[in-house]
Amino acid sequence: MQAGTQSPQRSMIRVEELTKRYGETAAVDRVSFTVERGEVVGFLGPNGAGKSTTMRILTGFLQADGGAAWIGDARVDPDAIEVKRRIGYLPESTPLVRRMRVTESLDSVARLRGMTPAERRGALERVVEACGLAAWTRKRIRTLSKGYRQRVGLAQALVSDPEVLILDEPTSGLDPQERGRIRDLVRELGRTKTVLLSTHVLSEVQAVCQRAIILARGRVLADGPLRSLGDQLGGAGSSELGLTLSGLAHDARVEAELGALPGVEGIVRVDAAPATAGRASFLLRVSERETAAAGISDRARHFAWTILELRHEGPSLERVFLQLVEAFDEREGPA
Amino acid sequence: MSAVAAVFRRELGGALDSPVAWAGTVLFVVGLHVLFFFLGYPIGDQRLPGFWAGGLASLDALFVWLPPIYAILAPALTMGSWAREFREGTDELLLTQPVTIRALVAGKFAASFALLGAMSLVAILSAALVVASVGPLDWGTVWGGLAGALALAAIHVAVGLLASAVGQEELVAFLLGSIVLLILWAAGLFVRVLPPTWAEALWYASPSLHFLEGGARGLFDLRDVVHAALAVGAALVLNGVVLVGRRWR
Repeated sequence: MQAGTQSPQRSMIRVEELTKRYGETAAVDRVSFTVERGEVVGFLGPNGAGKSTTMRILTGFLQADGGAAWIGDARVDPDAIEVKRRIGYLPESTPLVRRMRVTESLDSVARLRGMTPAERRGALERVVEACGLAAWTRKRIRTLSKGYRQRVGLAQALVSDPEVLILDEPTSGLDPQERGRIRDLVRELGRTKTVLLSTHVLSEVQAVCQRAIILARGRVLADGPLRSLGDQLGGAGSSELGLTLSGLAHDARVEAELGALPGVEGIVRVDAAPATAGRASFLLRVSERETAAAGISDRARHFAWTILELRHEGPSLERVFLQLVEAFDEREGPA
Repeated sequence: MSAVAAVFRRELGGALDSPVAWAGTVLFVVGLHVLFFFLGYPIGDQRLPGFWAGGLASLDALFVWLPPIYAILAPALTMGSWAREFREGTDELLLTQPVTIRALVAGKFAASFALLGAMSLVAILSAALVVASVGPLDWGTVWGGLAGALALAAIHVAVGLLASAVGQEELVAFLLGSIVLLILWAAGLFVRVLPPTWAEALWYASPSLHFLEGGARGLFDLRDVVHAALAVGAALVLNGVVLVGRRWR
């Protein structure tokens, strides 16, 4: 091994100043992060944030324009066979050879990974079992539903029992039930493996990851444990109040009245259709929760409205995410 | 080596799995026999009668058909080799496996070559058996022609495979490969009327000339072997270069 290719620390995934340009635009712009052994990390960001590109560089599919990355102590490079051996990869939209039968496809990957016949037999049994494919091994992949194809893709990634799993949107396009199953599987895998998982379904990150890295326009916006990402906003920034009123005489004026209250920054009407006469629901963005609530009950008494519901919307990761991305967009101007 | 074998297996499995390869084999064998036994070779200045009309116990009229047929058949067999992977995104699956690009290219080449080689073997040997049953066939020429045909097939497959990587789409790959190979073949038809320097340059470029003036006549020339090895090698190396280039997209 050459001097300087040793990772300074033994993080399982270490990325330093990674950069990839497509023409003028930087798809990945000096991205740095680490993932420790045994961690399950969520890679979050809107479409085009650079999640897939970063993953494609890590897996050796694309060449970076700058920066460096390591998997364990092996330097990432498209020609680095050792790196590829350590990674199980599920690419975005799960490309599979559609004509193959499930077993054939898993066996083919196992052979490409240089496994012996004995190893292959054991491995196939193990991943077929783990991914719930036992009843489907003889089926051709083109006849499978999207959920089952996703399972085959995961099984392929797992077949050589790699240390690191890189999963690019493993649940996108699946129905809630399938999504739950894949999520459970990933959570289970996270007990023994290092997992980097990209998604834009935030609840998924909350369900399976210990940490999230938020990307937008190729840059890392935030990187931290889920709890701290949430607190970061819950403490300081604004939060939301959900409000449902009845006994309204002039619907139009209500919104203006509430919007003018101290502590209220914005208001949106969110009625469930069809709206009942004299009744309305709103979502208020408030800077001072208690001031706003006091103002609302004062207005309600004054106009003889009935408050049917007033609830505080806790800071969800979804909002952390949206606010970070919005703030970033404001700072940087439109894409 | 096991990596090449794994790619070979994956690729050949795909070909044998589809009815196209089987139908193609039947069409190739039957078509080549119809041309050889009945039609002869009515192109260029070296016209040959069909076997039943000419009555000569030789496979000449069969061998002369191989270059134009390979020029279409080889790109048809290889057009999907890379282009389909690119279209279905499975190249991402393949190129992120712990396998070198060299092994990937070699495995894909070997699979398509095995297919075209087997088809040629069936077509040529079955025709030879029929001819030998009615006249004194020179088997030396047959073996020479077969070896030459395999070399010719290897070059055509390597060029077709390169076209599949360059063309990125199956139809483009097929057209690109077959047009280049047909031009190389057709240019050879004019070799006798060209000025000597041109003719010599063409001889270096055209695989079909090496075949028709060497192996097809039962002649063994080391220069033909070197030519085939260089042509196949160059096409495969370029194929690797195209794949490496895609990493920089």
